[in-house]
Amino acid sequence: MPIWLELLVLLLLTFAGGLALGWALWGRSPARGIEE
Amino acid sequence: MDLAPPAVNKCGHMHRSPLIPLALGVLAIVLLAIVGARITASDLTAELSLKAQAAIAKAGGTGVTARFSTASGMPSRHPLLIGGNALGSATRAKVARAVAAIPGVGGVRWENSSALASRAAPAERPLHCEDDVAALLRSRTIRFEEGSSRIDASSQGLLDQVSAALRPCLGAIIAITGHTDASGPEAGNLVLSRDRANAVLTALVARGIPADGLRAAGVGSARPVEGLDPNDPANRRIEFSVAESQPFKPTPVDTPGP
Repeated sequence: MPIWLELLVLLLLTFAGGLALGWALWGRSPARGIEE
Repeated sequence: MDLAPPAVNKCGHMHRSPLIPLALGVLAIVLLAIVGARITASDLTAELSLKAQAAIAKAGGTGVTARFSTASGMPSRHPLLIGGNALGSATRAKVARAVAAIPGVGGVRWENSSALASRAAPAERPLHCEDDVAALLRSRTIRFEEGSSRIDASSQGLLDQVSAALRPCLGAIIAITGHTDASGPEAGNLVLSRDRANAVLTALVARGIPADGLRAAGVGSARPVEGLDPNDPANRRIEFSVAESQPFKPTPVDTPGP
């Protein structure tokens, strides 16, 4: 497995983790619900 | 220029697909991985390669080189060990383990085999030469002169065969354990079994087996053959066990008896 592929997998996992965290913290903001 | 109005939802807000930033993020990450690897990979593999050469030399792997790149020539943390075909399997395993133990190195592979060396080496792994020796001693036994630790002349040929069978396991720890039957005082049995194990050790060293891999111990009549009466003369025997372990770690046979 070349290093660039290892780095890619690692970064994609980090990205997915960041998205999940962001969604959990701010994605379900009640502000949006009130506005609608 | 007439542009189409942006999509507006029923509340008057802009409606953008979340897939676009997501795709842009993934694209940025792919670029980051490729650029990042291009900048760092060659330095990393050069450093690992240096450390690997030092580890190989220390483990006794003369003529072995570690190649830190894939078949297509891309830098990789998973080295391919090349050469060293004349080395014994124990040395090859030692070399592979030494390389795998370097921080940052992934799985190690030999060029001409599919065996993988894991970072965690098994503490004790029976090798097949133990079975070979057991097969030799199943039908014949190493005989000693009555009440002494002098090996009988008739057993010299058998010892030649035993040393030949142990040769593939050089580099491993070979434990030689002497046993007696329960007749006579146990203190004497213990001394005799130990002396006989030592005599076998000396005989094997004389046949070219390095002494630093051999351990001799006597247990007297404490461990008779399973299913046999402790007084049965068939309990008088020499047993060999091969354990692939670190030479510094004392094996149970090193522990002095009570």
